[in-house]
Amino acid sequence: MSGLFGTLSIALSGLSVSQQELETSSNNVANANTAGYSREVPLAEAGPPIVLGSLALGTGVVLEHIESLRNPILEIQLNQQTQQDSYLNSQLTELQQVQSGFSSSTTGIGADITNFFNSVQQLSPDPINLSLRQSVLTAAGNLATDFNTASQNLETQRSNLDQNVVEDVGQINALTSEIASVDQQISDLQNTNEDTGTLVDQQTSLIRQLSALVDVQVIATGQGGISLTTSNGTALVSGSQSFALSTATGTDATEHVMSGSQDVTTALTGGSLAGTLEIRDQEIPGVLNQLDQLAAGLANAVNAANAQGYDLTGAQGTNIFTAPSGIAGAAGALRVAISDPSLIAASSDGTTGSNGNLANLSAVASAPVANGQTPLSAYSDLVFQLGSTTSNISADADASAQILQQLEDQRGSISGVSLNEEAANMVQYQTAYQAASRVVSTVNNLLQDAVNLGMDVAES
Amino acid sequence: MRVNPYPMPDLLAALNQSELEQQEVTLQISSGRSVNEPSDNPAAAAMLVENNDEMQFTASDLQNLSTIHGRLSSADSVLSSMQTALQQAISLGVEGANGTVSSSDQADIVAQLQGIQSQIISLANTSYEGNYLFGGTVTGQPPYVPNSADPSGVTYNGNNDVNQVSVGKGYQIAVNQPGSQLFSASSTSVFLALNQLIQALQSNNGIETAVTSLTSAANYLSAQSVFYGNAMDQITSQTTYLNAVKLQLAQQQNALGGVDLAMAANELSQDQTDTQAAIEAISKMEQNGSLFNYLS
Repeated sequence: MSGLFGTLSIALSGLSVSQQELETSSNNVANANTAGYSREVPLAEAGPPIVLGSLALGTGVVLEHIESLRNPILEIQLNQQTQQDSYLNSQLTELQQVQSGFSSSTTGIGADITNFFNSVQQLSPDPINLSLRQSVLTAAGNLATDFNTASQNLETQRSNLDQNVVEDVGQINALTSEIASVDQQISDLQNTNEDTGTLVDQQTSLIRQLSALVDVQVIATGQGGISLTTSNGTALVSGSQSFALSTATGTDATEHVMSGSQDVTTALTGGSLAGTLEIRDQEIPGVLNQLDQLAAGLANAVNAANAQGYDLTGAQGTNIFTAPSGIAGAAGALRVAISDPSLIAASSDGTTGSNGNLANLSAVASAPVANGQTPLSAYSDLVFQLGSTTSNISADADASAQILQQLEDQRGSISGVSLNEEAANMVQYQTAYQAASRVVSTVNNLLQDAVNLGMDVAES
Repeated sequence: MRVNPYPMPDLLAALNQSELEQQEVTLQISSGRSVNEPSDNPAAAAMLVENNDEMQFTASDLQNLSTIHGRLSSADSVLSSMQTALQQAISLGVEGANGTVSSSDQADIVAQLQGIQSQIISLANTSYEGNYLFGGTVTGQPPYVPNSADPSGVTYNGNNDVNQVSVGKGYQIAVNQPGSQLFSASSTSVFLALNQLIQALQSNNGIETAVTSLTSAANYLSAQSVFYGNAMDQITSQTTYLNAVKLQLAQQQNALGGVDLAMAANELSQDQTDTQAAIEAISKMEQNGSLFNYLS
C-alpha cells in the first residue's frame, strides 16, 4: 500500500501531465498560422500499476508521447502536385509573354504581310507612280522590322530564362543542403529518443519548397532518414549529405544543368526548372524556327519574283530583301536591300508602264513559301499553335491548382490547428489540473491530520 | 469527419478567381474584343489574321476599281470624240467625192480634214494622270508622232502590251488597249484611211475608195469601243459584289472577335456578385471567431 504520499505522487503526475498537455495546446495555438506545421496531440497513458495481492493500484499518468499528426502519403501527393503545378505555371507565364507578341490581327507580322502584298496590288493600276512604289518599300521595311523585333524579343526572353535556370539551380542547392542538415538533427534526436515532430515539419516544408523547383522524389531510408532524388534518379540528398547541382554553358550557348559531370538538363520533368527549360529549349526555339522559315521563304520568293521583271530604268530586277544566308536567324537578319523605289521590277517587258511582273510579286502571297504554306497561312498557323499551347497549359494549370487546393484542404483536415478544438482541450486540461490540485490540497489536509494525530487539539 | 480549420486559402482563391474573371470581362468591354490574346480563342485568333487580310485586299480591290474606272471612262470618251471626228471626216469625204465641188471648196475640205487629222492624233495622245492611254505599256511618251514620210502620216511609238489589274481573287481586268490595235492596225488604221482620203482629195483620185476605207476603219473603231463599255459594266458589278463582301467580312470579324456587350455586362455583374460574396465570407469568418471568444 502506497499511503498518502502515493496519492500525492499520483496527483502530482496529473498536475504535470495536464501542464504538459496545456503546453502542447499552447504550442498548437501559437503555430496555428505557421506554414507546414502539423498539429500535435499529447498521448497520455496510465502509469504501470502496483499489484498488491488481488489489487492493482494505479500510479498516476505518464505523458508517453507527443504526436505530430500528418499523413505521409498525402505529403507525397502534395509534393507531386506542387511539382506539376509549378511546372505548368512557369510555362504559362512565359507562354503568355511569347503570345503577347502575336496577339493583334491588325498590327504585327501578319498585318505586315497583308500590307506588303496589298501595296503591290495598289501599285498595279499605276506602276510608274513613285509614291505608290515607295509604299511597297515602306511596307517591306515594316515587315522586316517586325520580324526583327519578334525574333529579338524571343531571344531576349530566352536569355532571361537562361538566368532563371542558374537561379533555380542555386535555390535547389540551398534547399538540399538545408534538408540534409535537418536530417542530421532528426537522426541525432532520434538517437536520444526525443520528439522530432517539429523538425520533420520543417523538413517536409523544405521538401515542398524544393518540389516547386524540381521533380524530387522522397525515399524513406528507415530510422527517420530520407534520401531525395529527381525522378530520373539524380541524387540530391542522402541522409545528412547533399549533392549540389551545377550549371555549365553548353555548346548551344545555353546553361545546362549538371549533376557532377552528367548533363541532366533533359531528364528533369517537374517543377519550375523543368518548365523554364521546356520553354527555353522547346517552345521558343519552335516559334523562332517558324518565324525564320517564314522570313527566309518569303524573302527568297519575293526576290525571285522581282528578278523576273524590270525596274523603272529597264534593268532586270534585283533583290528587294537581302538574300537570307539560311533558315536559322533569317527573321532576325531580314532587311530591305533597296532604298530606291524605282528598283521595284513592276514591268514584265522592260517598258516603264508595264505592270506585268507585279502579278508575279502578288503571286508570292498565294505561293507555298514556308512548310508548304502561303506566307499568311504560315503566320496564322503560328498564331493558332501558340494560342492552343497557351490555352491548353492554362487549362491544365487551372485544374492543377484545384487539385492542389483540394490536397491542401485534406492536409488541413488532418494536420491543421483548429482553435475550437484547442479551446475545448484547454477547458479539459484546465479542469483536470484543477481537480489534481484539489487532490493535492486534500492530501495535504489529511497529512496535517495525520501529523497532529494523538496531540492535544490546540485550544482556540 | 474533421474539416479543414483553415478555409481562408480556399476563399482567397475564389476571390482571386472572380476578380480575374472581372478583369477579363472589363478588358473585353473596354477593348470591344473578345479575343485579346491568341489563347482566348486560338482558332478565332488565326481566322482574324486571315479576315484582316481579306478586308484589306477587298478595300484595295475597291480602290483599284475606282482608279481604273476613271482611266477607262476617260479612254471611252476619247473613243467617242474620235468617232464623232471620223463621222465628220466621212461626211467631208462624201462631199468631196461629189464631182460638182469647186477646187477651192475641195481645198477647204482638205484643210478641214487636216484639222481632223491633228485632232485625232491629239486624241490618241490623251493622257490620264500622267499616263498616255493608248501607247500599250509605253505610258511615258505620246504614242503617236506626226510623220509625213509614213503613209499613215504618223509613227506609233508604243507597243502592243496590255496591263491587267487584279480586282478580286483571281479576277483581273485589262485596263488599256494599245493604239496599235485600236487606231493603227495595218488593215483598219484610221490614220492611214484618213491620210489616204486627204491624198485622194488632193490628187482628186480614188476619193470614193478612200471614203469606203475610212468608213470601215471607223466601224472597226466603233466595234472596239464595246471593250470599254464591257469593262465599265464589269467594274460596276464587281464594285457591288465587293461592297457586299466587305460587309460580310466586317460581320465575320465581329462574330469572331467582337464582344456581345449585353452578355459581357451580365457576366461582369455576376463576377461582381461572386467577388462580393467571397469578401463577405472572409469578413464573416473573422466575426465568428472561435470558441476562444466565448471562454472567460
